[in-house]
Amino acid sequence: MSSPEDITRLKQLKESEALQAAWDEWIETRQLLEETSPLLDDPDPTMRSLASDEYSSLTNTLTTTVESTFPSLLVPASTTSHLSALMELKSGVGGSESSLFLAELVRMYQRLANVNRWKAEVVGQNDNEGGGTKDAILEIKGLGAYDALRWESGVHRVQRVPATESSGRVHTSTVAIVVLPLVEETDAHNEELFKMDDIKLEVMRARGAGGQHVNKTESAVRLTHIPTGITVSMQDERSQHQNRRRAFQVLRSRLMDQKITREIAERRAARTNLVRAADRSEKIRTYNFAQERVTDHRIGLTLMNLTSVLEGDGLQDFLDALRRDHYESVMEDMLESA
Amino acid sequence: MHSRLLAQLAAHIGTDQASLELRWMKQALSSGLSNATLSTMVKRRALGEPLQYILGTQPFGPLNLLTRPPVLIPRPETEHWVIKLAESMFPTAQNPRNLLDLGTGSGCIPLLLCHLWPKGSLRTHGIDISPHALRLANDNAALCGIPTHCDTDEPQNTYTTSLASFLHTSFPDNEASIKPPYDIVTSNPPYIPWDEYLELPRSVSDYEDPKALFGGPSGLDFYHAIARIVSHKNILSPNAVVALEVGYEQAEIVESLMRRTGRIHRTEIWGDPWGKQRTVVAHAHA
Ligand SMILES: C[S@@+](CC[C@H](N)C(=O)[O-])C[C@H]1O[C@@H](n2cnc3c(N)ncnc32)[C@H](O)[C@@H]1O
Repeated sequence: MSSPEDITRLKQLKESEALQAAWDEWIETRQLLEETSPLLDDPDPTMRSLASDEYSSLTNTLTTTVESTFPSLLVPASTTSHLSALMELKSGVGGSESSLFLAELVRMYQRLANVNRWKAEVVGQNDNEGGGTKDAILEIKGLGAYDALRWESGVHRVQRVPATESSGRVHTSTVAIVVLPLVEETDAHNEELFKMDDIKLEVMRARGAGGQHVNKTESAVRLTHIPTGITVSMQDERSQHQNRRRAFQVLRSRLMDQKITREIAERRAARTNLVRAADRSEKIRTYNFAQERVTDHRIGLTLMNLTSVLEGDGLQDFLDALRRDHYESVMEDMLESA
Repeated sequence: MHSRLLAQLAAHIGTDQASLELRWMKQALSSGLSNATLSTMVKRRALGEPLQYILGTQPFGPLNLLTRPPVLIPRPETEHWVIKLAESMFPTAQNPRNLLDLGTGSGCIPLLLCHLWPKGSLRTHGIDISPHALRLANDNAALCGIPTHCDTDEPQNTYTTSLASFLHTSFPDNEASIKPPYDIVTSNPPYIPWDEYLELPRSVSDYEDPKALFGGPSGLDFYHAIARIVSHKNILSPNAVVALEVGYEQAEIVESLMRRTGRIHRTEIWGDPWGKQRTVVAHAHA
């Protein structure tokens, strides 16, 4: 918990009515707490017990003020709060088991989207011959989707006995997820993300004489952003034109992601303190089927209801906890550098 | 999973293509656009029928057009140059253009331009020798919401069609529906020469109209006809643009045919995304 001196400094940071109200409440609660504290040793047992109840309720209020009210008022408003999200999922170790799990994760995010009234659409997908999905791109449209989902970036690990495993041995497989901010074609700040001259656009398969000679569907395209070396391939749509639009959307999202990451790094470099950087190769979560549990390793939170997580509701609990954790670390960061 | 159907399809078109096409078939079925079953779709495809006829549609730019045998399926090469043409000109409702499309087929070329350009900036007319094509073209116009004439106070782009042969030496004089001068003439005429026609993949030659493909022994018959039409006095307005799709080895010959009409002062050849010379664009004298 932060000391009152810190709060004083924060007070100077930002003056606002909401903050003033929260501040007044904080002062008042602390005062009540001070008044209650001597009563904890009162000779009258009834008084003691009353005091102790009050004391713990006041402490709770203080904790909430510090852990959520102040942060939500003080943490700078997110500049990405209006953005939708583009999730790229890739199967990792574990072969077809990883592909099967990837397909389940896609369904999990689709359900979560439903609950939040976001629009989820699989815009790219490569299926595995043995079942499941090798990789997928999931577009999640809606206010706040990116801010809510960005903490899903990282390696998700599943531990279970594959349906195909006769010996009953538990396998560990992984799926890597990267969540990007979705940048629409019509968004104003596209211009600065890339120059058309820096783009190399290629069709992916030969078409022989082409034109009237051929009526096979050859709609796959690949584009390369030369300065960054980012390449995007798209083949899911029947029209080349649509694949091209999708590919540009993914490119814009990746470039926007790089820009946001760069800006965060610059802001941090300007301060003395470093907040934990998001490492996308870090194992962030384990889904353990045998124990029916899901653990998020970053915040140490375990939910004993794996089914509910895969259905979307439990996942919401993780997202909420991660958001709180983010607020807190931004707060700490501000306190230490203020 | 439909692994049996996938295997059946993969034997004909390869695994990668099969898994994509199977997914598109499922999408068409779930969107209610087709009342076939997945297994009949796969069976037809395995017999060599083009996917676009089985699904009944083909995207063309942002449009989703109907496809129906034997009318030629719109090609991605055509989609590419029509979008490029759309981006290279700037008609406005104050300065609307007249367009003539020769061999209009599904109507894809004028319909896409009508869709992409500002409302009220374009009036188009397509002719074709095939009644099947004209019926499909009109259905597509209705589907895309492009009327035959402006029937409201709102400005609109329009598309009309008529049955006519532009190979005829009397064309366009005896055609009441042709109202020159035109600011834009577009055509993707039949351009496959005889020897290549015999080598076509079965999915093309067995299903698509030979009259939409065969361009005479040399493949150039229709370009000679277009050159004659372009030479015709008063058919083109000053600074008119003639945009012609060509076969993979025909661009330079067609370019010189256009230059020799005496109406053209500048020509360009556009490449397609697969690296073939695909479109001859000729600009008329001012
Ligand atoms: C290659 S297809 C092009 C169709 C459509 N414009 C497209 O780009 O998909 C050629 C079209 O020309 C039509 N056609 C063939 N001979 C013709 C003629 N003598 N007069 C008018 N149209 C003709 C065919 O019926 C066919 O629809």
